[in-house]
Amino acid sequence: MSRRKILSLALALTLTLPLLSACHGSRTRQGFTIPDTFDGSKTINLVFWAKNDTNKNQTAVYRQAIDDFQKIYPNVTIDMRLYADYGRIYQDVITNISTDTTPNICITYPDHIATYLTGDNVVTPLDGLIHDEKFGLGGTEVRFDAPKPEEMVPEFMEECKIGETTYAIPFMRSTEALYINQDFVEKLGYKVPDILTWDFIWEVSEKAMEKNEDGTFKLNGQNVLIPFIYKSTDNMMISMLKQLNAPYSSEDGEVLIFTDTTRALLEEIYTHAKSRAFSTFAVSSYPGNFLNAGQCVFALDSTAGATWMGSKAPMMDIHKEQVVDFTTVVRPIPQFNPDHPQMISQGPSVCIFQKTDAQEVLASWLFVQYLVSNDIQLGYAETEGYLPVTLKASESAEYRDYVSRKGEDNSEHYNIKIDASELLRAHTADTFTTPVFNGSASLRSAAGQMVENVTKSARRKEAISDEYFTKLFNDVTSLYRLDQIGKAGEEAADTSMKELPGETKALLIAIPAIWIVIGAVQLVQLKKNRKKKEN
Amino acid sequence: MEMNKKSSRLSKALIYVFLTVWALIVLFPFYWMILTSLKDFASYNTEYIPKFYTTNPTLQNYRDAFTAVPLGRYLLNTVIFTVATTGLMMIVIIPAAFAFARLEFRGRSLVFALFLSLMMIPTELVIITNYVTIVNWNMRNTYLGLILPSVTSIFYIYLLKENFEAIPDELYSAAKVDGTSDLKYLLRVMVPITQPTIVTIAILKVIECWNSYVWPRLITYDKNYFLVSNGIQEIRENGFGKENIPAMMAAVVVISVPLIVLFLVFRKKIMAGVSRGGTKG
Amino acid sequence: MKKNNLKAWLYLLPAILFLGVFMVYPLIDVCVYSVEENYNFARQSYTGIGLENFRHVLSDPYFVQALKNTFLIVIITVPLSTGLSLLIALGLSSIKPLKNLYQTIYFLPYVTNTLAVGLVFMILFKNTEYSQAMVNLLITKFGGTGVDFIEGPYWAKMFVMCFYTIWVVMPSQILILTSALASVNQDYYKAARVDGASSGRIFRKITLPMISPTVFYLIITGFIGAFKAYSDEVALFGTNLNAAGMNTIVGYVYDMLYGDSGGFPGYAAAAALVLFAIVFTITYINLAMSKNKVQYM
Repeated sequence: MSRRKILSLALALTLTLPLLSACHGSRTRQGFTIPDTFDGSKTINLVFWAKNDTNKNQTAVYRQAIDDFQKIYPNVTIDMRLYADYGRIYQDVITNISTDTTPNICITYPDHIATYLTGDNVVTPLDGLIHDEKFGLGGTEVRFDAPKPEEMVPEFMEECKIGETTYAIPFMRSTEALYINQDFVEKLGYKVPDILTWDFIWEVSEKAMEKNEDGTFKLNGQNVLIPFIYKSTDNMMISMLKQLNAPYSSEDGEVLIFTDTTRALLEEIYTHAKSRAFSTFAVSSYPGNFLNAGQCVFALDSTAGATWMGSKAPMMDIHKEQVVDFTTVVRPIPQFNPDHPQMISQGPSVCIFQKTDAQEVLASWLFVQYLVSNDIQLGYAETEGYLPVTLKASESAEYRDYVSRKGEDNSEHYNIKIDASELLRAHTADTFTTPVFNGSASLRSAAGQMVENVTKSARRKEAISDEYFTKLFNDVTSLYRLDQIGKAGEEAADTSMKELPGETKALLIAIPAIWIVIGAVQLVQLKKNRKKKEN
Repeated sequence: MEMNKKSSRLSKALIYVFLTVWALIVLFPFYWMILTSLKDFASYNTEYIPKFYTTNPTLQNYRDAFTAVPLGRYLLNTVIFTVATTGLMMIVIIPAAFAFARLEFRGRSLVFALFLSLMMIPTELVIITNYVTIVNWNMRNTYLGLILPSVTSIFYIYLLKENFEAIPDELYSAAKVDGTSDLKYLLRVMVPITQPTIVTIAILKVIECWNSYVWPRLITYDKNYFLVSNGIQEIRENGFGKENIPAMMAAVVVISVPLIVLFLVFRKKIMAGVSRGGTKG
Repeated sequence: MKKNNLKAWLYLLPAILFLGVFMVYPLIDVCVYSVEENYNFARQSYTGIGLENFRHVLSDPYFVQALKNTFLIVIITVPLSTGLSLLIALGLSSIKPLKNLYQTIYFLPYVTNTLAVGLVFMILFKNTEYSQAMVNLLITKFGGTGVDFIEGPYWAKMFVMCFYTIWVVMPSQILILTSALASVNQDYYKAARVDGASSGRIFRKITLPMISPTVFYLIITGFIGAFKAYSDEVALFGTNLNAAGMNTIVGYVYDMLYGDSGGFPGYAAAAALVLFAIVFTITYINLAMSKNKVQYM
């Protein structure tokens, strides 16, 4: 085919590109208005995406909720799809936004909802629904016993607001807690206080590193001991900064985390990671495994991990023969200021997605309401160290009874689990959340990443210095594109030509150069062929 | 003669050593996999230092693999998917390779170059658009949705074309003189001659379909349409609280067995050197 | 030499249909995305048309790292795997007893699920709190000092990566080479042996030229495959490849598609097009070289 034809084809293609780009425009979605009545004769199919903690009891609660709800509203069927982690749910929702095939109801985090909200009318705002007389929380037309708005725990409801609008309903709440091997602490000559300080925990951890002559640890006589393991490094950095009132981010999405305070915290972590007194989940493994085997003193995990902690834990990953007997106590996370404890509030929330059929959205909302009704709240909360999100549930006689029977058995009434949820109940007013904006999830990961990197560097015996921290901050900024999220992202993109790194410059020069050479060689060949033909 | 025998024996021995060393390197991970599948879940987790053997082997993992997830159903789905995709692929690529190798037509080199360039597109790129397409055609959770995007593989068109091209022109001219149509020539002469390659391609495609993971995961969420790879992931994620590696290994072993059997059955066909001499004399 | 236009296009039609819908159309889609700036899956809108995506990708240090990693993997694994496969295929074709056994063994990696095998490799090479990795144990037995292959220095990670890639890629190469060797007309060999040619000569003058189309095919597709490396990395190092410093270009594309802030198909598309340009260039060079060297008998 002649070269001219190729060129014209290429030209045509490049010209049509801008036209085609119109295909990627946004689909218009309608807003939602609450219908007057719920149409009980219309068949409605809902899709519910839930997170599955690999705890079969929790899956059973969901199934029971679906079955019961379908009995109450026979025209509605619900399909549940279980996911192993929030990240996957997030990915799939994003993919499905573009094809308008989002689920109806979804267990999610406000951080993620902030991203979904960048499209128009993707997630349904809930304020109107919550306070609606007929269909709102505990409304007149709701066919089951649902909590009224004032019966929801106010702190938890606040967390689900993005800006001034509520976009989610809290489903379960948890916080982080220390699971402490009390015997070990006392063996080291200390007493476990009501509220631990960071200094205390570092001190005790370092003391625990003493070894015998044969290399085993004095504390447990084993070859392995990591005194302090923190599962979620994201929360670690965030909590430390919050306790010091140090900058992390602002409500409107400014990234403020790269400060001297952050650096000082990282340096402290480095010291203890270097002596191996401290480690993280990503580096070592799940804290519960070490704790239960007598290889850890302070295991820090969510209260929703309580059933994995302790000598008699109902859920365990390690073999019975490895479990060591000890007394476990539950405490709030370490504090800088024990008089004013602060701990993070976390746990799944539920949101509903906008659909064209208002009845469908209404049915989704009713199912969400069902999820915060007492039976479900109690059922799910009792599977782990969760706290129900309604006062109606947590102050009910049934729940009080459940709590009072702590220690009766090592499954439903496992004492550590109940201790953990009671800890959250006692400290509900001390909990906090971080500002939610598009990209807040990235910032959170970045915070955790810094702790991980510092820990890994400590283990590799890399030295830290000014350059180290400048590089760390830069790496993390590019890794999570922190200079484009939130406020920074919304400001006009900086179009000043950033210097292209050497490698890409080389690439940009090499490829055209190669093609020029190829072109030249072809031309020479052509000339040779023509000469041959002529001869 | 003595020297020749010695040196050839030595070189034979060296060859064997070389082959054995690599064979061991290849085998070791499998040995590990089978070993793990026979280990008790609890004892697997307690092995601080990985053991090369197990004191009490158990078949429990195999039972778990089939009960934790409907592995049997997934196997059936995978078979349907594989057979359909491979069959369709043959119908598509054999004529295409023939066109490139044998038929003169305008734009042949350009079109071939375009095909080749498509080969360089990584799947991760096309996957999102294909997802949108399949959703728009309402083909999620269907066999068609699984099969259609997986049918064509340019790698195999290319390979087959090379093989077709290697068949001497004289055979073609002879057939033409006899008045054979192109289609008959293709089916009666070229395909049988390149049978080793075609069987190889079929087997490679079967394996590709068998292990396919990303695409099925994306477009199916109805368990009735899951493939075995989804099944393995399920076992990995839902196994009794944490990653049940032994059960996962058991599932993997089970899933690999049909493929090994397939290879063993067809090995002779692949290795059979069909003499290309048709123009002797 | 008849011109078979209509017939040829008819033969090509099924292939063109499938490719058109599932490859060409997405490719155009990708090109469109690459010039839409700041497109966001969640937002479903973009701010303008231009080359901003390319600029962003090309100045992203993680893209540069991915570029380096990918090039390294390609340069190391393709020659090594093709060479080794050739040696093995030759070795196989020259022995009779146990040949079937060896062939089956060599083919095993291909037959098994890569996710599972990657996991096994990770276990073999990763140091845990409790013990050194199996491989390190072996190394220390022979008197060396172990190295953390999964979490340790860059060269160790690269080594495991290349080793695993070669391990995974070889079975199909061996298979293809073996069938190519088997297709060589035995008469040529007989004639050569009657003439008294040495094995080396037979190899260079008969075997190699006869299988040269296949060898070049393997080199070309080997390059292309190695440039697309991604899932093997994930099997070994988990999904956060950037943190491990082991990302590849395709990995970068994938990360961009599912970014924490809504997915950036624009950046993904730009990176993919850069990859495409590189691979296209190299393949063209390979093809040109193969035209010179390959002979059809």
